[in-house]
Amino acid sequence: MYEQSISRRRPGCVVVLLDRSDSMNRSWGGSSETLAQGAARAINSILMELCLRAQKGQGVSYHYFDVGIFGYGARPVAGGEGVETAFGGTLANRALVPIPEIRDNPIAVREVASGDVAGATVRMPVWVEPIHGYRTPMCQAIAVAGQHVYEWAQMHPESFPPIVINITDGFVTDNPYDGASLDDWASRLTGIATQDGQALFFNIFVSPESAGNVVFPSAANGLPDPGPDLFRISSPLPEPMMRNAASVGISTVAGSRGFAFNVSDSTMLVKLLEIGTRVETRD
Amino acid sequence: MQIQPVVFSAPKEGYAPTEWEDGAGHVCLGGAPGLDPQTARFAVADGATETYESRLWVCQLIASFLSSDHRGDGAWPDIERASMTAWFKSMQDTWRSAAAAPADYIEEMKIRQGTLATWVGGQIVGLDTPTPVWQAVALGDSVLFHVRGGRLVEHFPRFRSTDFDSAPDGVSTLPERLGRMSEQMRFKHGQLAAGDTIFAATDAFAKWMISCEEQGDETLWPLLCGPLPPSVFSQLVTEQRRAMAMKDDDVTLMRIRLLSEPANTVVVYL
Repeated sequence: MYEQSISRRRPGCVVVLLDRSDSMNRSWGGSSETLAQGAARAINSILMELCLRAQKGQGVSYHYFDVGIFGYGARPVAGGEGVETAFGGTLANRALVPIPEIRDNPIAVREVASGDVAGATVRMPVWVEPIHGYRTPMCQAIAVAGQHVYEWAQMHPESFPPIVINITDGFVTDNPYDGASLDDWASRLTGIATQDGQALFFNIFVSPESAGNVVFPSAANGLPDPGPDLFRISSPLPEPMMRNAASVGISTVAGSRGFAFNVSDSTMLVKLLEIGTRVETRD
Repeated sequence: MQIQPVVFSAPKEGYAPTEWEDGAGHVCLGGAPGLDPQTARFAVADGATETYESRLWVCQLIASFLSSDHRGDGAWPDIERASMTAWFKSMQDTWRSAAAAPADYIEEMKIRQGTLATWVGGQIVGLDTPTPVWQAVALGDSVLFHVRGGRLVEHFPRFRSTDFDSAPDGVSTLPERLGRMSEQMRFKHGQLAAGDTIFAATDAFAKWMISCEEQGDETLWPLLCGPLPPSVFSQLVTEQRRAMAMKDDDVTLMRIRLLSEPANTVVVYL
């Protein structure tokens, strides 16, 4: 299980559920950046990373991944509260988008400071903008994304299972939704499977406080709410992701879940997204 | 002594042979017409899938290593650290000077991440003597095997089947990696005799060979040293992949037999 590599014949599926509730307007770790801004920046960064992985050569981008970003809370296009895809521009309203299309359709390309050379800038594409408002309909987000994930898994039975990563700062406000609890929706999501294993559901709880990260715990002991709930619905980390974590100096133990609590800076969020989305590519 | 080299290859399952992204080559040098050559040179490389234009990097490395004039002075790199390091540097310089301009900022960023290939290459010297020697240099998880009388004499680097992972060392296009590459290179040599066989394989097939050896599979070397039509090789790879005994990756196996006298028959597989 969880041994299939990513290839053009067996692409992967990465879905991010992005909390766009009002509380994402809080500033992150005392910085001038809000949780919404930091989360959007982290998602844009990981989308860029997926684009780079797929860039095989000059003018050649392989269809290694189908990617979906679903915002929940404020709906900038439809208006009001609910769930909608978070891509903008040409990709607006698209659910799962092949990575070459994502590559070619950012909503903006901005100059940002280079992390490598002082004073230098690099061009960074933007696909997702920071948005916040309303409450936290997490169950609905799982339900909406789950339908697309289910259809994708039906079409790609030999692929690495879908990876769904939920980024949130708050308490779910629509539990139960449509007659099913948060646990039920999570269970339905992780019940979706390919021949290589069940869909993976990872949860990252971001926090404005620098209260100490808890990353990939194997038990929920001592976590304040909503930690235990999010821990319970998170998938155990499969072996490839444990190796990913080890490669960036994050230790895991048997039973570690794909769950992080009180993530208090966006650099750590990017690192967690990389751990959760890095699957060996082979072709 | 004469050598009889052959390269077997297979792309990933379901892909066309033109999509095979490894590289392999060999060349004989010295010796007057009709006489034994003095030296044979060989190389096998595997481009890292996630890196930019890795197939071009593999082609450049193999072509240069087997060419006697890559430095313009009729020399090629000796199988020792300083010479190989200088050759790596010249390869990086060539790569940069030959690179086409990136089409956009994503390609530019990808190029900055570098291109990588695993490598095992070397030479057989003294073919015109009774005691030829193989010399090899390796960087990454491509592996050389020396077989005599149906038994493995040596494999290099001495990986176990559990040592293969998805992030091997390799020959990089990045100048800042040159020092590390120089340190990571491994060297080995061994004495050869008529009838011996040298194999060089990229990771998927090498790992499978080592696994068979670890399990005491006595059919392995007779199979690989015997008549091996390309169709039988392809079938072997397909079967082992389906049995999950071999990773579904590009596969390359170079076989070099040492013959005490020129072959007197030619077998053509149609």
